[in-house]
Amino acid sequence: MSQEIAVVGSPEFTTGFRLAGVREFANVPDDEKDEHLDEAVTGVLEDDGVGIVVMHEGDLEHLSRNVRSNVETSVEPVVVTIGSGASGGGGLREQIKRAIGIDLMDEDSE
Amino acid sequence: MAKDVKPTRKELMQIEDRIDLSERGHGTLEKKRDGLIMEFMDILDQAQDVRGELSEDYERAQKTINMARAMEGDVAVRGAAAALQEHPEITTESKNIMGVVVPQIESSKVTKSLDQRGYGIMGTSARIDEAAEAYEDLLQSIILAAEVETAMKKMLREIETTKRRVNALEFKLLPELYENKEFIEQKLEEQEREEIFRLKKIKEKKEAEEEAEKAEAEAEAEAAAVEEPVASD
Repeated sequence: MSQEIAVVGSPEFTTGFRLAGVREFANVPDDEKDEHLDEAVTGVLEDDGVGIVVMHEGDLEHLSRNVRSNVETSVEPVVVTIGSGASGGGGLREQIKRAIGIDLMDEDSE
Repeated sequence: MAKDVKPTRKELMQIEDRIDLSERGHGTLEKKRDGLIMEFMDILDQAQDVRGELSEDYERAQKTINMARAMEGDVAVRGAAAALQEHPEITTESKNIMGVVVPQIESSKVTKSLDQRGYGIMGTSARIDEAAEAYEDLLQSIILAAEVETAMKKMLREIETTKRRVNALEFKLLPELYENKEFIEQKLEEQEREEIFRLKKIKEKKEAEEEAEKAEAEAEAEAAAVEEPVASD
């Protein structure tokens, strides 16, 4: 089954992806993120037609604890956060620390 | 705990079988955990490279779209974005790494030629084309990152589960089984000692009874011998 890529974030963030052909998007203006970002992200995560969700790393701060935990552990669809540099998402780093017992990301970046 | 165990030989044999199975399982799970961590290290290196590329592509894409916005205006960029007709699609196939099913994502229609984009050539400028191209490259990197990160997340989950199983066997189940085994062995030894003592006591009692009987019989015989001459007189 073919799936689509979805983008969630501010209109400035999503426009570029729409220019590359992404049609699944949720625009949440910066001043409404605290109220509406949870809803938008949950909607996209529950959509079976979406295989990859793209978000800005900074937007994770606006999510509630439950939704953020879903975003960080979701595999279908997988959430790719950008704008965090080479270290990857914070959730992944925490998961590595918990599973392996060492902060591998920290060691590699030093 | 040991208090719930019946101190029987059958139970001891069952516990020994369970210890054997648990030790074998513990060894296998430890090997699986180590193997998964080795595989994970390879994927982690790959993920760091992919993340680096993703970061660079994102910066480049942002620069080009900001340039397009500055030169053409936000409305023109949004207009072009709304006109796109071809949409990128992904299909997922799976690959098995040490029992963990990880996805392999195939993408189509991500990179498009100018005429496939659908916003027309006349109404837009090269700045918008450059931005679209940069975002198409960014999407390719995102798809690669999604594949690697999904594999990482799945492997981390499996490592965590395996680690928990290994720890449960090592620190909970096996110590309990060893404790139960020791308890039954001690109880059985105690029962054996009691049995030996009882047999010894029975033997002593029997011997005492036999001696008493013998003494009685001898006394009777003696009494009979004394009475016989009296009767003959």
